[in-house]
Amino acid sequence: MTDTVERKALTGEQLLSAYRAMRTIREFEERVHAEFATGDIPGFVHLYAGEEASAVGVCSNLDDRDTIASTHRGHGHCIARGVDVGEMMAEIYGRSTGSCHGKGGSMHIADLSKGMLGANGIVGGGPPLICGTALAAKIKGTGGVSVAFFGDGGSNQGTTLESMNLASVWNLPAIFVAENNGYAETTSSTWSVASDNIADRAAGFGMPGVILDGFDFFAVHEAASEAIARARDGGGPTLIEMKFTRYFGHFEGDQQTYRADEVARARAELDCLKRFADRTVQTGELAQADLDAVDAEVAALIDQAVDSAKAAPLPTEADLLTDVYLRY
Amino acid sequence: MGDAIVGVVANPLSGRDIRRLVTQASVFPTAEKANMIQRMLTAFGAVGVHRVLLSTDLGGISAAVFRAIGRRSGQHRGQHGGQHSPWPDVEFLDGQPIRQSAQDTVEAVRRMVTAGARVIVCLGGDGTARVAASAAGEVPMLALSTGTNNVFPAVREATVAGLAAGLVATGAVPADAVTSQAKLLEARAGERVEIALVDVAVSTERHVGARAVWDPATVSQLFCAFAEPDAIGLSSILGQLLPVARHEPHGVTARMTPGAARQVLAPIAPGLVVPVGVSEVERMAPGSVHPVDARAGVIAVDGERELTFEPGEYPTVRLRPDGPRCVDVPAVLAMSARLGLLRRTGPNV
Repeated sequence: MTDTVERKALTGEQLLSAYRAMRTIREFEERVHAEFATGDIPGFVHLYAGEEASAVGVCSNLDDRDTIASTHRGHGHCIARGVDVGEMMAEIYGRSTGSCHGKGGSMHIADLSKGMLGANGIVGGGPPLICGTALAAKIKGTGGVSVAFFGDGGSNQGTTLESMNLASVWNLPAIFVAENNGYAETTSSTWSVASDNIADRAAGFGMPGVILDGFDFFAVHEAASEAIARARDGGGPTLIEMKFTRYFGHFEGDQQTYRADEVARARAELDCLKRFADRTVQTGELAQADLDAVDAEVAALIDQAVDSAKAAPLPTEADLLTDVYLRY
Repeated sequence: MGDAIVGVVANPLSGRDIRRLVTQASVFPTAEKANMIQRMLTAFGAVGVHRVLLSTDLGGISAAVFRAIGRRSGQHRGQHGGQHSPWPDVEFLDGQPIRQSAQDTVEAVRRMVTAGARVIVCLGGDGTARVAASAAGEVPMLALSTGTNNVFPAVREATVAGLAAGLVATGAVPADAVTSQAKLLEARAGERVEIALVDVAVSTERHVGARAVWDPATVSQLFCAFAEPDAIGLSSILGQLLPVARHEPHGVTARMTPGAARQVLAPIAPGLVVPVGVSEVERMAPGSVHPVDARAGVIAVDGERELTFEPGEYPTVRLRPDGPRCVDVPAVLAMSARLGLLRRTGPNV
C-alpha cells in the first residue's frame, strides 16, 4: 500500500467516532424538535438534522490548533467540534449550567476551549471571524486552519464575499463551507444565488471550488481532508459547497409551505446516517452491533442532557452583569 | 411542425468535483453552458432545424436559455426586430421531478429519443456523455466538452457543432455517412452493471467518496476502450504504451503497480503529471471478458468511482462494440462543403 492510500483510509475507531458524532447530532435535533413543541424552550431554534455529514465530515479532519465559526443552525457544528452536549442542551433551555451560562441560547453557543467561535445569529457573520483566526494562526505559525460554515443565504452576504477575497489576498489557511440546503429561510437558492452554484464563485476569488454530495460522509471527508491539508501546507483557502436538504423547517414552527415533500425522499434515499451504516457494515469496516451500541449510548446521553437541563437553575438577576465587556 | 428535431442535454454539475481542489482543473461556468446552447440555437436555426428539446435543471442553464428566448421575442417586437436569425422552437423538457443526479440526464435523453430527436447534443464531461449514451439507443450523439478533463467529448465551438448536428437532423447530410459507432466497456459486479466510454479503473479505495479518481496510486488495474497518446486522464497512461484509436476494434488493459520497473509520466488530470508504474500491458479483443484482480474496492467508469465491490463478487470488464453512434463534426462539414449545403448565391440571400 502506498502512503496516499494509508493516509486516506479511516480506521474502524475513526469511523465509529464519525458515526457517533453524526448520530449524536441527529438525536439531539430530533429531541429538541420534540421538546420545543412543548413550549419549554425559550427563543428560536434552527435544526441541523439531515446535514450531519457536512459538520462531521469536515470537523473530523480538524485538531486542537483549528477553529470553526458556525451559523444560526449551529448545533451540528458544535457537536462535531466536541462541545459538551449537556452544556449545549442547558444553554438552549436558558439555564445557568449552559455553555454560555444560559444567556446566549441556541444561536450563540460558543466554546473557545474547543475552537468553536460560536453559532451566530448574523447571517454571514462567521466568515470574517475565521479570517481573523486564520491570520493569527498564520502569523504565529501554529499550522492551524479555520473553517467557516455558512448557508446559501449567507453566501450572498457581503461579509462572506469580502472574507473570501481577503482570505485569498492574504493566502490564509481558511476553508469556506457553503451548506446549500436549498432555502435561505423560505427563499429558494435556485432563485437567490445568481451563479446558481455557490462553488462557482471561488474562481473569481482565485481559489478552488468544489461541489459535494452533502449527504455523503465519505465524499465530504475526502474533499475536506485535501482542502485542510492544502491550507495547513500554505496552499491557501478553498470553497466547498454541500448540496443537501434540511429535514426540518427554517426554524421550529415554520409551516414549510414553500417546499414540496422533498424531505421524505431525502430521508428514505439519501440520508447520511443510513448510507454510512449500510456502507460500513457492507464492507465489514464496522459491525451492526457496534452501531446499535452507539445508538443506545447516544439516546441515553440525550435523555440525560434534557433531564439535567430541565433540572438546572435559570440565571439570576445578578448574572445580568457578568460575562459582559462593559457594565453600563 | 417538422420533424428535424435535435435534443440538447446539459449537465449543470459537470466540472465541479474534487479535481478543482487537488489539481488545477478548470471551472466551466453555468453561464457559459447556457451561452453554448444559445450559439447552437443560432446554428440550428440557420440550417433549418424545426424543434429543439432542451433538458431542464436546477443549476440555472435551462433558466438562462428560457430568459434569453424571452428577451429575443421582446426584441423582435421592438426596433431591432428581424436582426436575429430565427431560432427553432425550443421545448423545455419539464414536468418531471429534478433529482440533481445522473438520473436527470437519463430521463431527459429517454424523452428526446421517444419524441423523435434525430441527434442528441450532450454538454458535459466524460461522465455526462457516458450517462447520456446509456439512454440514447441508436440516435446519434454529439458530445461537447464543458471542461478540460475530458476525453470522449470534443472541445469544439458550439456554433460549429450546432451546424453539424443541424445538418444531420434535417437529413441534409445522411447520418450513416457521418456517424460511427463507438466502443464501450461494460463493468459488472454481481447484478450491477455500469458502462464506460473511455476507461474503467479498479481502485483500491473502499468508498465512492468524492467520486473522481485523482490519485494514481489507488489504481490497480486499467481498461481502455481507446487510448490516445494526446489524451488527458487515465487513458493517457496506456496511450503512451500501446495507443489504440477510437475506430480500432480492440482495446487495451494493464495492471498498475506503483513500484513497477516501467514508469510512464502521464497527465492523469489537468495540472497533474505523475509517474505511474505499469506492468503487463495487453490488448483487449472485442467481446473479451476480463476479470478484476482485486478482491474488494471501487470500480471507476470514465474517471468516476461508481461501483463498489466486496469479496466474492468477482467483477469483470468486457469490451463491447455497440457503443453510442457518434456524429463526426469535421466529416459533416466536409460533406457539407462537397455538397455545397452552406453556399448561397446572390447579394440578398
